[in-house]
Amino acid sequence: MDRETVERVARAAHIKLSESELEKYSSDLNEILTYFELLDEAPDTGKTGVNPVEIADVLRDDVPRSDFDPDVLLRDMDTYERYVRGPRLL
Amino acid sequence: MKIGLEIHVQLPTASKMFCSCPTTDAPAPNTHVCPTCLGMPGSRPVLNRKVLEYGIMLAKMLGCTVADTTWFSRKTYFYPDMSKSVQITQYDNPVGEGGVYYLDSGKPIRITRIHVEEDPGKTKRVGDLSSLIDYNRSGIPLAEIVTEPDLSTPAEARSFLGQLIEDIRYVIDLPGDGERSIRCDCNISVGKERCEVKNVTGLKNVERALTFEVVRQTKILKAGGKIERETRRFDEERGVTVSVRKKEFEADYGYIDEPDLGIFHLKEMSDRIKIKESPQKMAVRISAEYGIDKKMARQLISTSADLASLFESAAREFGTKDAVKWIAGPVSSNWKTMESLGISPEGIVPIVREHCGGKITDTECGIRLKSYMTGKEPEEIAGSSGDLDKIIAGYLDSNPSVVSDYAKNPKAANKAIGAVMKQSGGKYQSSEVVEAVKRIIESRM
Amino acid sequence: MTMRDVLSSFREINSKYHMFHAVTGDADPGDAAFLFSAKDNLTSADMETCSGSRILEGYRPAFDAESIARMRAAGGKLIGKCNMDEFGFGTFSVNSGLEIPRNPYDPERSCGGSSGGSACAAAVFEDHVSLGVSTGGSICCPASFCGIYGIAPTYGRVSRYGLIDYGNSLDKIGVLSARAGDMRKYIHMISGRDPKDPTSCAQPELKDTGRKLKSAAVPKDGTEGLSADVKDAFDRSLEKLKSMGIDVETVEMPSLKYAMPAYYVLATSEASTNLARYVGMRYGRQRGDLSLRFDDYFSSFRSEYFGEEAKRRILLGTYTRMAGFRDRYYAKALRVRQSVIADYKSVFSRFDAVLTPTMPFTAPRFGEISGMSALDAYKADYLTVPANLAGTPHLSVPCGYDRNGMPIGMQFVADHWNEEVLFDAAESWEKGFEMVKPEVKV
Repeated sequence: MDRETVERVARAAHIKLSESELEKYSSDLNEILTYFELLDEAPDTGKTGVNPVEIADVLRDDVPRSDFDPDVLLRDMDTYERYVRGPRLL
Repeated sequence: MKIGLEIHVQLPTASKMFCSCPTTDAPAPNTHVCPTCLGMPGSRPVLNRKVLEYGIMLAKMLGCTVADTTWFSRKTYFYPDMSKSVQITQYDNPVGEGGVYYLDSGKPIRITRIHVEEDPGKTKRVGDLSSLIDYNRSGIPLAEIVTEPDLSTPAEARSFLGQLIEDIRYVIDLPGDGERSIRCDCNISVGKERCEVKNVTGLKNVERALTFEVVRQTKILKAGGKIERETRRFDEERGVTVSVRKKEFEADYGYIDEPDLGIFHLKEMSDRIKIKESPQKMAVRISAEYGIDKKMARQLISTSADLASLFESAAREFGTKDAVKWIAGPVSSNWKTMESLGISPEGIVPIVREHCGGKITDTECGIRLKSYMTGKEPEEIAGSSGDLDKIIAGYLDSNPSVVSDYAKNPKAANKAIGAVMKQSGGKYQSSEVVEAVKRIIESRM
Repeated sequence: MTMRDVLSSFREINSKYHMFHAVTGDADPGDAAFLFSAKDNLTSADMETCSGSRILEGYRPAFDAESIARMRAAGGKLIGKCNMDEFGFGTFSVNSGLEIPRNPYDPERSCGGSSGGSACAAAVFEDHVSLGVSTGGSICCPASFCGIYGIAPTYGRVSRYGLIDYGNSLDKIGVLSARAGDMRKYIHMISGRDPKDPTSCAQPELKDTGRKLKSAAVPKDGTEGLSADVKDAFDRSLEKLKSMGIDVETVEMPSLKYAMPAYYVLATSEASTNLARYVGMRYGRQRGDLSLRFDDYFSSFRSEYFGEEAKRRILLGTYTRMAGFRDRYYAKALRVRQSVIADYKSVFSRFDAVLTPTMPFTAPRFGEISGMSALDAYKADYLTVPANLAGTPHLSVPCGYDRNGMPIGMQFVADHWNEEVLFDAAESWEKGFEMVKPEVKV
């Protein structure tokens, strides 16, 4: 993974990297990805799956319910008049 | 010019998509919330069955193939109102794929896919200091319908959307406007490269945004410039689109399968679900089956699907001509009044039957229908419509050419309608005048 | 030691071994039936839950994890939340943003990870059971390094409601204890369907079938790269198993060497999406400089409060699922997992269990760990990863001690939903094994 790719990945992941971190992670990730090349030669039957055991058709009925007191959920949040405060948009 | 749309429709469930929070209007910000829709660590999603059912209904309405097996994906993007920074949506194997939808003009619009996903929360824009988020909307289920770029003008896009929304409302009993509005991402290319205008709300704005883009892109191309592939947004107040980001800064969503929900077999569910015939399909069928104009069929249906059904049974019993004359005539123009008075349409057909059996005259039939549907005394109606009929007859006596012109082009009636409306001083409803003018012209032909 | 004795002394012990991040304020057991602790990635309504991360400091969950709720409902008293590698990212519990637990046999050595604090607590306190979580070996590894029993049941056996996710298709909640019988007892207590976690709803009922361990297969690759002491202890254990009447044979499992890269791809891909929610809003640490544009705010916040290994795994997992690389890594790894499962299934058609040492070496000193590269540390998991990738239940039993007196573990893997064989393996083994308890000095 070259520096440019690490920078692109870090931007997508919203991680800010210092010069030295960039260097370190580039080299670590290169080493790891070289090891991952093993996957290219792994036998492939084409069978795939989201989970290691089949999980199918677990559904909930459409019945509204309030199990939590919203005030308890908001107690530790940075809020303003019940709105959750976040960073600037533009 | 090529236009393709991605249409987001909020689905009318009672609880959210992955948690049981109610979807009704909340009393205050962040009250219809729980750990799941707030994305709190340790929370988990459980899928609402109704969301899949609505997805299947819409897929069927759009002529899509319903997937045998479907599952969900995680779309990762960072925004303050996206509580998990991950949206649970569908990537591979959506609920439906490969459909086609016909415009009233008969033009086919290909449907790429339809999938279901969760809505993010809402950000209230405040100054420059911070943002304020309300997560009440977070987790409300959406269907996203993606079309191929088969629409050729902004006006066509608008009429497509209008028609589609009407159909969706009817098929899944979507409540009227308000909060649950339609949001659209519009892709448009005048030349080779396309631009996407994100998150446009409402039919009118879709047409405005697209029209602005046509002008903008055409200008650039004429000046020998190149269109850059980018994402733009529509500024409703100024009526312009503004660049948000260029292609190279597009978010990389990094889709992976959602492991918390497993997979869903839709075959059985889909076999069980029968949908109502959509207004669009009904119009095509009624016009073909009874040989009436597609526009008339559409008008019957948009007044009410029950009116269209009534038309069908009348046409079967009395023939198309009488069905057009009575059901598309006075019955149609008084339908809304009847509905608002809570009167059942049951008594309509027997009146028409009496007339077709020769027991009552044209005039009597018209008065009886109107009296039944408006709850007014026949005398009152006879008086006023007798007056109206007299005014029309008088006009036609002095302008006999209207009748012969009408035979060539029904638009000729407009002249008479306008004159009668003016003469009667706005005493009669326009639908009533239209119906009476046409009836009397036709009786003279 | 009575429960009251433990409750009056455990804070002092904790100050030396750092098994707990948060502890109960109670000194009175009341009418508790037993005391337990839980890894700090399981939410507890009465104690801060941080998952080993500074970014979550201050998070007071509104609800108990289902596993903790079931322990409490059966009379358990939660005494502490156990230190761990940040979000489970590690093999030695040194990647903690909070405190690093110390091995009860030698405080200069690691407890293993990532459920290091849980293993430490279970090894140190009498009659203590601790809930752990395994994604790639995080229960068996620390059980092995701390000389105790540890079980990670089948994927989906225990509800993950209330688990702070690492890799949702891999995470399993299990039990660590110095007593073999606790494996059966507490897995029964916490397992079962839970409508709040769909992945728990596929399980067949866990029944006492009385099924015994009669045969075990040792994969050829599973005995390579071992330290001399581990190899020696493992060989002796195999002889002992044979003498117990268990049929032990060597088999080929050709897909196992692909399990490691497939595991790290899936685990980091999923982890990088799970950790996307930590942006300095809503819970845990908040209130940064909100006048920054959101992209900058999120990036600076995440850079400041995620640890080094968390950042590494986020970067790796973001890369392996990116457009252009997704097919080569993420999608391929999903298919390789199916090949590994098929390989296990074919062995389980002939044997009750697959058997290897748990870790290729014993608990390393902290100084040795800091000399390892990231990849070296990942590779240390090569014996525990395959079963974790396949979602098959696995259990570590103590099987000897090295020349420094550090414990050595041996790992049994059974077929999906077949925990019964593992319970029996642990209980039968315990009868003939002489456990050397650590001397805990305060």
